Amino acid sequence: MLDVREIHSFYGDAHVLHGVSLSVAKGEVRALLGRNGMGKTTLIRSIMNLTPPQVRAGDITFKGESLRGRPSNEIARRGIAIVPQGRRLFPSLTVTEHLTVLKPASVTTGWTVAKAFELFPRLAERRDHYGNQLSGGERQMLAAARALMIDPELILMDEPSEGLAPVMVQHLESIILELKAAGLSILLVEQNLFSALAVADQVTVLEGGRVVYEADAQSVAHDPGRLNRHLGVC
Amino acid sequence: MSGLSLFQLLNGVTFAALLFIVASGFTLIFGLLRIVNLAHGALYLMGGYCGYAVASASGNFFVGALAAMVCVGLAGLALDRGLLRFVGGNELRQVLLTLGVAFVVNDLLLVVFGGDTFTVPTPDFLRGALHVGTMFYPKYRLFVLGLGIVLFCVLWLMLYRTRLGALIRAGVDDPETIQAMGINIRRIFLLTFMLGAALAGLGGAVGGAFLTLYPSADAEILVFSLAVVIIGGRGSLLGAAVGALMVGLLNSIGQVMFPEFAYFVIFGPMALILAFRPYGLFGRAA
Repeated sequence: MLDVREIHSFYGDAHVLHGVSLSVAKGEVRALLGRNGMGKTTLIRSIMNLTPPQVRAGDITFKGESLRGRPSNEIARRGIAIVPQGRRLFPSLTVTEHLTVLKPASVTTGWTVAKAFELFPRLAERRDHYGNQLSGGERQMLAAARALMIDPELILMDEPSEGLAPVMVQHLESIILELKAAGLSILLVEQNLFSALAVADQVTVLEGGRVVYEADAQSVAHDPGRLNRHLGVC
Repeated sequence: MSGLSLFQLLNGVTFAALLFIVASGFTLIFGLLRIVNLAHGALYLMGGYCGYAVASASGNFFVGALAAMVCVGLAGLALDRGLLRFVGGNELRQVLLTLGVAFVVNDLLLVVFGGDTFTVPTPDFLRGALHVGTMFYPKYRLFVLGLGIVLFCVLWLMLYRTRLGALIRAGVDDPETIQAMGINIRRIFLLTFMLGAALAGLGGAVGGAFLTLYPSADAEILVFSLAVVIIGGRGSLLGAAVGALMVGLLNSIGQVMFPEFAYFVIFGPMALILAFRPYGLFGRAA
């Protein structure tokens, strides 16, 4: 569904991604692992064509059509939603407005405010609060609910578990599995290996802007040592 | 402190209503879109002359005001798409560019309309005076006051109760993220810019009926609008209303009580406010 082929991304003159290739199949969750500064967020931003970085070589296709050089709003309209790093909620919008701003309340097809509140009942209680008046877990729920409102086929989640309490991380994992069961594809950036393995089908590790490890989640579970060498954990 | 000062008070409040009409457009562009549009005064004057020409030809003040809004809104479209998009995000270039545009527009208007003073003709039912308490007050100025209040309500509802308003607020908060959610934010910003320009045009047509139109009226109204928005806080609708009220009242009090210090009476308090609240009364840090 999503195919990233040999892309090279730059921040100014700094060469950050060195020929990264990766794919996400329909209904698949791929975890993108790696330490800080290894190029994970750069890859997410490159897919959405958010600048910087600049993608100077390679191609990104979604359902067979090239996305390279297209404006990010058009990429989103083709069915790719983003849950950005740090949530990036709108401080001047209420919880409800975060959802209706992307899809008018009068539209009843696909994801609606009611369905989003059903998935995240906590948000319904907070519907009139502003984006900057929520707890960390609520912020993450809202960022995820907001992404659903454009009825995506693929969601790019950039470190959704960052800064969350363990119980919230578990809740997030169950939400990801629920979305996967509904047929959504997810590219999940994670620092936490165990959280990633709990939901992922495939694992990709980035190091220094290159893919250094790729495997399905089952084989990782059998031989965690190799993966750990790249991540430098445990 | 009775008859005369109530009259002066009403003068201040009705002038404030006009200032709000012009400054609300300025606060949309300068405060929300962060574009330093020093051509706002020129857009006001353009709206004034356009309103004068159309109202005189059609014999209908409201057709003139509408024409001023449409005409200046389209000028805003040309200004944003044709020039401002090349200097996006660079305030110094925006200042120089829009100041240049202001000079060019001012000279073009001088060529077309000459240096004479014009007054936009008002409809019959707004001529004359209304009995207010113990005195008579011009109906037209009371109409401007009502228009300012209605405009405040309409803009407030638009910004805080409609999807377009939510899109504008989201775009101001974080343009990259709202764009990545599938919204063409350039189009929303262009629409906002055109609305701000159209409000300058409306201000010109409305103000041209009681302040009169002459070649340097644009610079005067620009300075007042800047004071209003800076006192009230960039991008705040309530700030623009309160700022307009302060500037309008100070202006009329200054003119009566300290005519030789009329400008100081406005800009002295403004400096004082900025010293303690650098973002204005209702502003917040960007």
